[in-house]
Amino acid sequence: MSAARLRGSGAAPGVAIGAPFVVEPPVTELDDPGPSGPPAAEKVRLHAALVQAAAELHAMADRMRSVAGEEAEIFEAHAAFAEDPEVEEQAAPLIDAGRSAVAAVAAAFGAFRALLAASSNDYMAARAADLDDVCSRVIAILSGVRRGYDLPEGRSVLLARELTPSQTAEIPRDRIAGIVTETGSPTSHAAILARTLGIPAVVGASGVLTVAAGASCVAVDGRTGEVHVEPDADVLAALTARAAEEEARRAELSAASDEPGRTSDGVAVELVANVAGRDDLAAAVAAGAEGAGLVRTELLFQDRRSEPTVDEQASYYGEVLAAFPGRRVVFRTLDVGADKPLPFVAREPEPNPALGVRGIRLSLRRPKLFEDQLRALLRAHAARPGGGVTGVMFPLVSRVDEVVAARSELERVAGDEGVPLDSVEVGVMVEVPSAALAAGRIAPYVDFFSVGTNDLLQYLFAVDRLVAEVAELTDVCEPLVLDLIAHVVDNASAHGTWVGVCGETASDPEVAGALVGLGVRELSMVPGALGEVKDLLRRHDLSALRSVADAARHAPDAAAARRILARLT
Amino acid sequence: MPSRTVTLANPTGLHARPAKVFAQAASASGHQVRLTKGDTTVNGRSVLSVLTLDCHNGDRITIDVEGDEAESVLTSLVELVESGLGEHEAGS
Repeated sequence: MSAARLRGSGAAPGVAIGAPFVVEPPVTELDDPGPSGPPAAEKVRLHAALVQAAAELHAMADRMRSVAGEEAEIFEAHAAFAEDPEVEEQAAPLIDAGRSAVAAVAAAFGAFRALLAASSNDYMAARAADLDDVCSRVIAILSGVRRGYDLPEGRSVLLARELTPSQTAEIPRDRIAGIVTETGSPTSHAAILARTLGIPAVVGASGVLTVAAGASCVAVDGRTGEVHVEPDADVLAALTARAAEEEARRAELSAASDEPGRTSDGVAVELVANVAGRDDLAAAVAAGAEGAGLVRTELLFQDRRSEPTVDEQASYYGEVLAAFPGRRVVFRTLDVGADKPLPFVAREPEPNPALGVRGIRLSLRRPKLFEDQLRALLRAHAARPGGGVTGVMFPLVSRVDEVVAARSELERVAGDEGVPLDSVEVGVMVEVPSAALAAGRIAPYVDFFSVGTNDLLQYLFAVDRLVAEVAELTDVCEPLVLDLIAHVVDNASAHGTWVGVCGETASDPEVAGALVGLGVRELSMVPGALGEVKDLLRRHDLSALRSVADAARHAPDAAAARRILARLT
Repeated sequence: MPSRTVTLANPTGLHARPAKVFAQAASASGHQVRLTKGDTTVNGRSVLSVLTLDCHNGDRITIDVEGDEAESVLTSLVELVESGLGEHEAGS
């Protein structure tokens, strides 16, 4: 067998080298063997199979609970499906009519599956795949085709068309070197599970089952998405070196995860996490985030028909605050517009939602909605265990008067609630060019600015980030963008206002270095990026970062500026 | 046969965990429990039926219970729904 190379999408980082092991697809369509006995006996068989399936799923949930707590819930839900009395109820008349237990249970699950799959709700539609997983387990038990007995003997690279959550979880972790699937996306459930378990994985490697059939060795690079079949000595050596390097790097970065962010000469730079929901909290804390620089609150409002109550909001905000005792946590008030309409905020559709009533503009036009959110934030702050600064940040500010109005509403509600504002900071998200240019006028009214680079670039260059053809017109390294951020910092510091950056660009270590050189003192990013950014900052002193940032501002264009920033690596 | 109509106050409605919490409580009661939304009525002890009834926050659902202690089972199921079905605080 000769060497071959395929490319899919990297779904979980890391390098894996091992013998391939093909995981057969779950049994969903069997040649129906027909009933093996009279209807009464067939019903007893079905009942026993459902009980056994539920027991297996409960056991799997227990096993998962110790390694991946969130994932355990999935298997508990699967167990509840196997225990559902309606399944037997609906299968019974079919068995009485002469069908086999296999055919009857497939029909019963199939009826529910059709209802789920037809739902316009993503959550419901995704449960259809869960139901398939449970159904195939029951069928396998009934037909004696047991999965799980056929396990790889040593540590292997699993190859499959697609892996279901239970297949991924059922194979002992120490037998899985890596995973390659023909289909699936990096957001598929198996990919998420692989990342949680730290298994290198590549998805969408079309043709891998054919190419790797009978091979003795497969090497996987979960970062680049490359899959090598029968790799030669050079490829193996390169990948082995990469694996050792990545391992050493991970160990090095995680050893420093408790260290504070700072430059080599000790200038503090707060390295904090973006948080979109409860699931992000554990990852942020584990990655050593020194707080949260952008807590999105949209989650509480979306996909529901009535607005969340003050108590409901306060309980969520309290959960977030509890994850970061003594640290600064910045909440962004509701940031939605006509592109994500809320059923309880009746609104006219807008031809151009990016430029319409959204962010603080919506909050100021919906006083009750805004007041409730501020009240909930203040209550959560007052009840905050372990203390710490709570930030309230207003999105899509374009004028000073919006800041004045929003701030006075916060002060009014705080007076009403009797919550002192000593350790509450008020901030503005700088994402509209007019706000960036007005930094000197806005600064007297706020404690901080957080530059949202994604939207700032979109509005500055008049480029829709989602239109691939024009997306490349924007780059945070365009010297004029660096100039604009420097303008914000200079005008802010004249009033004692601190400046952070919470866009995607903060997670690029070299760009982060330049931002610190410009005077930015807080960087908020996805938790996974904290380690590399911290490492780069700790290797340079402030004057080095300043001179690189200054040189980049004087570069002719973004490409030249990026070449200058590369000196930091 | 006693029945009551309630408005779902918890954020996710009868989906995910809340659907399971309701069906399990209904099963544990040992009574026949039926759930009605609009003109569809399903077995309240079946998590799949409850899920596929597709009930959201703010929907009105009718619970009816049949059995010896129907009245007290109904009261406890209504309380369970009103308390948010295991999700965080529902009432303000």
